[in-house]
Amino acid sequence: MTIEINGTPHDRTPLPGQCLRTYLREEGCFGVKKGCDAGDCGACTVHVDGTPVHSCVYPAFRAQGRSVTTIEGLAGPSGLHPVQQSFLDAQGFQCGFCTAGMIMTTAALTDDQRADLPRSLKGNLCRCTGYRAITDAVNGGSPAVCPAEGAAVGSSLGAPAGPQVVTGTARYTFDLDVPGLLHLKVLRSPHAHARILSVDTSAALAVPGVEAVLTHKDAPDRLFSTAQHENEAEDPYDTRVLDEVVRFIGQRVAAVVATSEAAAEEGVRRLRVEYEVLPAVIDPALAMLPGAPLVHGDKGIAEGIVRANANVVGELHAGIGDVEAGFAAADAVYEATFRTPRVQHAALETHGAVGWLDDDDRLVIRSSTQTPFLTRRAVSRLFGLSRDRVRVVAGRVGGGFGGKQEMLVEDLVAMAVLRTGRPVKWEYTRSEQFTAATTRHPFVITVKAGARVDGLITALQLTVLVNTGAYGNHGASVMHHGCHETVAVYRCANIRTDAHTVYTNTVPAGAFRGYGLGQVTFAVEQVLDELARMIGMDPVTFREINVVRPGDDLTAPGAHVPDLGIASYGLDQCLDRIRAASSTTDTAPDGWLVGEGMAIAMIAAGPPGGHFADATVTLLPDGRYELAVGTAEFGNGSTTVHVQIVADELRTTPDRVLVRQSDTDVVGHDTGAFASTGVVVAGEAVLRACRALRARILAAAERGPSEIRCLTADSVAGISLATIAPLSGSGHFDGTPRSVAFNAQWFRVAVDPDTGELRILRSVHSADAGTVMNPLQLRGQIEGGVAQAIGATLAEHVDVDEAGQVTTTTFRQYHLPTVADVPETEVHFARTTDAIGPLGAKSMSESPYNPVSPALGNALRDALGFRLTDLPYTADRIWQAIQDHRP
Amino acid sequence: MQVPAPFEYERATSVDQAIGLLERLGSSARLVAGGHSLLPMMKLRLANFEYLIDINDLHAELGYIRLSDDEVRIGAMTRHRELLESDVLASVLPIFSDAERVIADPIVRNRGTLGGSLCQADPSEDLSAVCTTLDASCVIRGPGGAERVVTMEEFHVGPYETAVADNEILTEIRIPRKSFRTGSAYAKVERRAGDWAVVSAGAAVWLDEGRIVDARVGLAAVGPNTTGIPEISAALRGHEPGESLYELAGAIAARSCDPVTDTRGSADYKRHLADELTRRTLRKAVERARS
Repeated sequence: MTIEINGTPHDRTPLPGQCLRTYLREEGCFGVKKGCDAGDCGACTVHVDGTPVHSCVYPAFRAQGRSVTTIEGLAGPSGLHPVQQSFLDAQGFQCGFCTAGMIMTTAALTDDQRADLPRSLKGNLCRCTGYRAITDAVNGGSPAVCPAEGAAVGSSLGAPAGPQVVTGTARYTFDLDVPGLLHLKVLRSPHAHARILSVDTSAALAVPGVEAVLTHKDAPDRLFSTAQHENEAEDPYDTRVLDEVVRFIGQRVAAVVATSEAAAEEGVRRLRVEYEVLPAVIDPALAMLPGAPLVHGDKGIAEGIVRANANVVGELHAGIGDVEAGFAAADAVYEATFRTPRVQHAALETHGAVGWLDDDDRLVIRSSTQTPFLTRRAVSRLFGLSRDRVRVVAGRVGGGFGGKQEMLVEDLVAMAVLRTGRPVKWEYTRSEQFTAATTRHPFVITVKAGARVDGLITALQLTVLVNTGAYGNHGASVMHHGCHETVAVYRCANIRTDAHTVYTNTVPAGAFRGYGLGQVTFAVEQVLDELARMIGMDPVTFREINVVRPGDDLTAPGAHVPDLGIASYGLDQCLDRIRAASSTTDTAPDGWLVGEGMAIAMIAAGPPGGHFADATVTLLPDGRYELAVGTAEFGNGSTTVHVQIVADELRTTPDRVLVRQSDTDVVGHDTGAFASTGVVVAGEAVLRACRALRARILAAAERGPSEIRCLTADSVAGISLATIAPLSGSGHFDGTPRSVAFNAQWFRVAVDPDTGELRILRSVHSADAGTVMNPLQLRGQIEGGVAQAIGATLAEHVDVDEAGQVTTTTFRQYHLPTVADVPETEVHFARTTDAIGPLGAKSMSESPYNPVSPALGNALRDALGFRLTDLPYTADRIWQAIQDHRP
Repeated sequence: MQVPAPFEYERATSVDQAIGLLERLGSSARLVAGGHSLLPMMKLRLANFEYLIDINDLHAELGYIRLSDDEVRIGAMTRHRELLESDVLASVLPIFSDAERVIADPIVRNRGTLGGSLCQADPSEDLSAVCTTLDASCVIRGPGGAERVVTMEEFHVGPYETAVADNEILTEIRIPRKSFRTGSAYAKVERRAGDWAVVSAGAAVWLDEGRIVDARVGLAAVGPNTTGIPEISAALRGHEPGESLYELAGAIAARSCDPVTDTRGSADYKRHLADELTRRTLRKAVERARS
């Protein structure tokens, strides 16, 4: 019996146990995505005889004799299906990994179901957009535009990859057919801390199809950090590809490489490992106590660990002014301790890479990464290869959020390729994503603050404990960053910070949108809210009295790179919007408690210590331009902005700009797509490349660099561009100096005191991103950040039990917000122009996340009459707190 | 990707042919209907079967909702979507549409079935609570066409365990009707839209001349199986419905259930919800009975 796929019969019999999703991908339908493998996310949705199904839980056999339609077959002979067109028009996607499934589900909705989208579309998860762009697409919202020559910047240009995303033809990491591919699977540690005494590989090697087993004895004797930064000294070198000591449940023990995933998994099950179990420490508060088990007792300062004998990776003890004097001068002092849990990035494309040797015997790694260049550097160093012998390339990346500023798979894939000489693929399962990728760092933050009745903050004191897990990747940097902009946004003469990042025998934390700011902002903004209450002042006025103003230094305790300044200022405008929000009214159900709250956040546009970008723009013989830029696109929209810059600077239209990116063969270097740098750093390099090329084009027509009006899309001073092509210009930016961006969030919430359920009645966000390069995409970035933060505030928590085992390992246990869980957020932009950023733009990638949890905390405080200090604010915790506060 | 253990796949062509297959293959085989619970469990290797017998083609035989004067009969292969969209159920048993509205999403509802939900026997499963509330009985067919009928209490032996033997199939659910004014309702507190219940409650009442002739409450996620509470029925019978009666019922629900503290909430919280949702659903059911 055959399976008809998009009108064509396929005769191949499915393998026993194969699901339809895998069968379809093997038949070349790469638009069908693996997001969760358990029917929870909807990314694999296809139609069987016209009915949408989750193809990952649909036995392939069941499709025999039936007709299957995938995203590739949805368009008709006359062009896109109307739903594809509306997703393209409204730009109902960011990374696009969920989009094919979203479109397939939408295409099958009845009118009744369309009228109740929150309930109808909630089986399709999106981690990027916050769903507004998607509901706009379903309902036919404001479309993206195709701007005319010279009018691209400031327009809502659609993403260049849009047509590929909506047709399922965008190629993500695993969307390619590699002949002779081997599959890698790993055995993971069942112990939180143990020494591997022996690994018996004989039974695994006897499994048909198993080609190799890799253990710590095969691994290079070199340390590295999975974290990727331009400055390698930022992270401790505490990690090996495969280590003799395992330090968390889920750490790699050994890898099996086989001709099929099933054989590799069977090989893993047959490995026999003898462990010497070592004492473990799970609680970060206990980790610093004398006598605590040492996670990296064999290492020290040389590896970048400040006090390995106390499990301290990094620490900050510094002050400005005199906090005791500051508290003495205060009329009101408030102190509280806050706790933020682990949350997971949950990008819908899991971590993974495919590696092979190319025709020149170079090692090629195709990876789902935010940092191809730094990953190349790390792989080169680990295996002793010169950099020109390694190529790292990213396809379209299915979401990152910081999680892919990490080398979690490429090292082991490289080792397997070098060992076998054959192409090797390793794709994380969704469960591995929870147990063996990174999480947000859990923080415990005590904030004490004082203020005078006139509103002046007299002292701020932070005590911070950061749990980095078993490895120190990003651990110290997240702590330093978290303790900086959160207090630097306030003019306060007396500030004291004491912070530690400590190791525990738990899954490592890593970079995650906000990079520590979200956690510390959660505490600082709530303490200030309480202080404003204590002195009887409204929270907006209290902020206005105390926030930094143009010309102020941005100071915080500790040594900080002095290149950060206020190169544009829109925080005042953001606060005006928040004040206006509270004059609105909403109705809540009878008996529910209603409250309002706000919070602000500041973020540096780019990381301290250098973030480098190179770009080259080439005029092609057909009059189009090719932009080569290193930074990766994972849905953040930086590519769209780069195209807009090229179009305007070279007086052409966006459709005449081709982009090559995220490939170490394309340009010299790029630090990576992290730290909110896609527009402000890579974009500046693009701008400089454009201006260099423009000068050369004008010079070719014997015109000066200021005679821009001579240039059109086809000619320069009447000379056809074709006659002077090819011509190139390059640009470089080292990411310094840096400006700051601002965000403010306001919520009105209602709480059912009988169940603890919380409902957001209204959500308002105002942002100062400098020049708004692309309003539609900027709004999307903000909505997505707010939605992610709402998830982390109200629902998400990665649970680790007393033994150190992660117990939330699927989307059925770990709850990403669905379309039904996310309210619409009103988004307002401040009107500012930055003196540093390209064409006046500032960053707006991470920052919308940061003020959300404290604003919800403050709204909840307003509704309940008391404050909840521990995230997440789930209904059961809210209800319990109400019981505990009953007189 | 997660790879389940290899399994052979058979398509059932009739109920009796499926029973024949089950007889031959024994405990190495499992029936699959929608597959949204079974297949993820197999991928995670929480369940391993050598044979899957796909009974989706039995929808023509087992997909129906039949109303008679004294009962409603629903075929085990009736899909969530059909339960949600049934005008018959909406008019005589609105508890079904209440529950279906909060179960999963359209794609799951397109495939998932009433029989599959009951046979999964998840203690927090909504339709089990609905059937418990309605005093449903389950028709189980075995070899040679032998049929037996069991109550919901008998059907659910424990968490994820039912009275259906390896060589049997659940074919039909029967819900008794009484010749009184009746109303029913369902409510659930969930962590996220469409999620499994933290706690949910169903209520059904039968009124005669303003008094409660009979009333039933079923709870999910507060014990090893969905729980019917006979004490509530006894306490309500013969009385005129009102707030003090709902409070009494809620208090009985809270003290009769047996929740555990887990990531969905503390035992105290769940006990409180059992109380709160019992009162809410009874109130709604009475409202509907009177209208």
